[in-house]
Amino acid sequence: MLELIFTALLVASFVTLFVKNGRVAAVISLIASLLPVAAIIDWGNEFGLKIFSFGLEKSMDFSIAGITMHFSVTALAWFFGVMIFFLIPPIMLFSYSFFEKNRGFFPFMLFLITAVFGILLASDFLTLFFFWELMAASSFILVYMGRDRKAIISYLSFSVLSAVLILTGIALIYSQNGTLLFSNVAFSADEVTVSAIILMIAGFAVKSALMPLHAWAPFVYSKADEPFVAFLSGGLSKMGYYGMFLMLFALPGAKILQQYFDSTVATYILALIGAISAFIGTLLAFMEDDLRKLLAYSSIAQLGYIAVGFGIGSSLAITGALFQAFNHAFFKSVLFLAAGAVAYRTGKWKISELGGVAYKMPFTFMAALFSIFALAAIPITSGFAAKWLLYEAAVSNKYIFITPIMLIASVGAFLYSFRILYGVFLGENRHDDIKEAPLPMVAGMFLLVMPLIIFLIFPGYMLDMMHSALVNAGIGTVSHTNYVISTGMASYNTIAVVVGMMIAMIPAFLIYVLRKHRNIDFKDNFLAGEPYEIYGHISMHAANNFYKPIEDVLMPYLRKGATSFYMALYNAMGRVSKTVRRIYTGLSQDYAIYVAVFLLIIMGWLIW
Amino acid sequence: MVDFLIKIAVIALYTTIAMLVGILFMGIGRKIVARVHNRVGPPVYQGFIDIAKLLTKKTNISHGWIYDLALLFSLTGIILTILFLPIGGVKLLGTEGDAFLVLYLLAIPALGFALGAGASGNPNAAIGVMRALVMMLSYELPFVITMIALMIYYDTSSIAQIVELQRARWAIMIPPFMLAAAVADMALQGMLMEAPFDIPTAPHEIASGPMAEFGGKHLGSLMLYKAGTIVAYTTLFVDLFLGGGVVMHDGSILSYIVNFAVWFLLILLIFTLSLLINASFPRFRIEQAFKFYWKYEALLAFISLIWVYLMVIS
Repeated sequence: MLELIFTALLVASFVTLFVKNGRVAAVISLIASLLPVAAIIDWGNEFGLKIFSFGLEKSMDFSIAGITMHFSVTALAWFFGVMIFFLIPPIMLFSYSFFEKNRGFFPFMLFLITAVFGILLASDFLTLFFFWELMAASSFILVYMGRDRKAIISYLSFSVLSAVLILTGIALIYSQNGTLLFSNVAFSADEVTVSAIILMIAGFAVKSALMPLHAWAPFVYSKADEPFVAFLSGGLSKMGYYGMFLMLFALPGAKILQQYFDSTVATYILALIGAISAFIGTLLAFMEDDLRKLLAYSSIAQLGYIAVGFGIGSSLAITGALFQAFNHAFFKSVLFLAAGAVAYRTGKWKISELGGVAYKMPFTFMAALFSIFALAAIPITSGFAAKWLLYEAAVSNKYIFITPIMLIASVGAFLYSFRILYGVFLGENRHDDIKEAPLPMVAGMFLLVMPLIIFLIFPGYMLDMMHSALVNAGIGTVSHTNYVISTGMASYNTIAVVVGMMIAMIPAFLIYVLRKHRNIDFKDNFLAGEPYEIYGHISMHAANNFYKPIEDVLMPYLRKGATSFYMALYNAMGRVSKTVRRIYTGLSQDYAIYVAVFLLIIMGWLIW
Repeated sequence: MVDFLIKIAVIALYTTIAMLVGILFMGIGRKIVARVHNRVGPPVYQGFIDIAKLLTKKTNISHGWIYDLALLFSLTGIILTILFLPIGGVKLLGTEGDAFLVLYLLAIPALGFALGAGASGNPNAAIGVMRALVMMLSYELPFVITMIALMIYYDTSSIAQIVELQRARWAIMIPPFMLAAAVADMALQGMLMEAPFDIPTAPHEIASGPMAEFGGKHLGSLMLYKAGTIVAYTTLFVDLFLGGGVVMHDGSILSYIVNFAVWFLLILLIFTLSLLINASFPRFRIEQAFKFYWKYEALLAFISLIWVYLMVIS
């Protein structure tokens, strides 16, 4: 059964390679992408999501060329599977309208899904690495389609870096244990194992764009196709955290690090890096004018919170981190898709050139609004519960540096949220000739928003879903009912918030209903009845350099960042290569001289 | 069931009173500032007159459904916030959430307001919102640091619990929290948008900023929101540092009245202090405010946090 799913995905990928029509390819991909979802739902019977069962096996060994690949599904892989595979059908639905011609998105996306499925099921390091590289290769091709030199080079070099780090780590682990099966590997607190753990975590951190290994993200996110970027940010970045969770808690690397350093310093550094990612990512996000780059920096920031949770390592923190990962998968996908829908209709990416889109695309706006609520952790969506758990964990562990940094980064999220809402969707209506995005796009986005609302009211279901993963890793769980989460510090009752909000809405609703109003175009109001045309040359959209005052204050501190370091490295390498290339002059006389000199040296050496 | 209905009635009573107090404070505020400026000033009930006038206007103008969100979100959000703040020791929904929840609930009305201002299409409104958000980023840093100091000291993040634990002595009587309270009070100045931090609404520069295009019932509800914020922020400060104004613990009817009166006097005191600063200072520029909060305020807040941390550890 399990190999059938792999085969079906690969066959679908192969078939779509030859389908020219984008719609047909999208339908094939949509059906194929439902297979892993079905598998996840089936396995859910064991791990806490009881819907239906058709008796899919849970493990499989597959031998090829004398190497046996071990597959089995664990509670952890299942949880990550839920957050990743449920993303894909809506994204495929979106792509149905997005791609009129099949330019290669569908086959490689399906290939990518196969690879992700393999990574999650892998139960030995070699299989993990094999599928990890398949994932890197197929996602590289998808990045390559963006045809942007910077994006391609940075993605390739960081993928290679990640691969090298992970492979070295695996080799070190093999040298210590003589086995690669997760179940047989036994870590001990020695230099080799500790460096293997650190190397592998660094390798996984590349994929999840943790600072200072994030430099590829803004380039790649801003140049590849939107549906792919939605999956790259929502789904693939979680693979890095899957690997990290695997290393730190499933194979108890965190305990080994603690034993070796005789303190929690190593995991504290991870948490601090996460918090700094969140902080700097936020600051960079609200100064960005390109919508996709803004979302890229926001991804870096939001993913930083997950690292904080893993670094703190208490049950509260890890629950919060996994919850945040789940939320991020959905809200960031919606935001990238909404950006894609806006660009599909207007063809623009710069926030300062957009404006007033909400009046023409109200449903896209609503989907984006809800995901922004989740992003800013406003308690109208499930985004709040995750961050709340992280704050509680940080405060109860008395982390006096990390907690304020996290909180202020989250306040900064309001700044770039408003930049998206105002700059793109509100303000001056500059696009009179556009329509709402096509129905499949809107449907895809709304499907992705739904979990954010379900888990607002019942965060307990989410905690139940991660329950067995946490128990298997030997981490305790957070006490909760369906709608109350209690920690040692306080409790959070979602029903109280929702019902309280309904009660609190009564006065506002009465004011709204009892007094009639009429709608007037804002141009009439603002221009006092003068014709709009005579102001045509004046922009009424204050979206250029929106956060100029704060930018002036902060920019001097942020200019020397990791990206400029990598650029300097890149330029230095370029200079070295240029110098080396001078040898190849293209003149045959020069080459003749090289040969002659080489022969002379050889002869001289022989004679001597 | 009866208990539940009584609870609903108490909640409704307290929120109504809190909103009325807020409107009264708007009038008191104008009076105090006028007296400092050696003017007569409007009567103290001017707030009621203004809001009644705006809410009963016959012509109301809207700029679409997103503009209306300002009305719905701002009033809903601020009432919801007040539900989660203990008032004079009465917890309302205070046990169902904590200080982090209150911080984020306060973002609902702000974001709703910002949405409406953005939808009004006036560039001044957008600039005003930008300033308000930058101010928020500025004052939140020192404020959250002081809040974390309290949480670490009392080992809880629930505001109701913090109020409860201040029975023996108010937090402000503990040395590090004197410093923290001073810092938080300056943050409060920014939260209430009083001078020198009245940058977002600066009437002479950007035509009242976010409110530029609002009128009728929309402006009326925004004034109610403003009234609510005065009560919410001052109550938050009183709950965190001044024991929520609880002086009697016996649970009799008298104790409720006394605690309520003390709470009223304390928030009036805090608000008056903020008004006196307001009346005597000119306005900062936005980057000056940002530097003020992130350099000096944050440093002082951090000193108090480390002080508390060392106290708790030892």
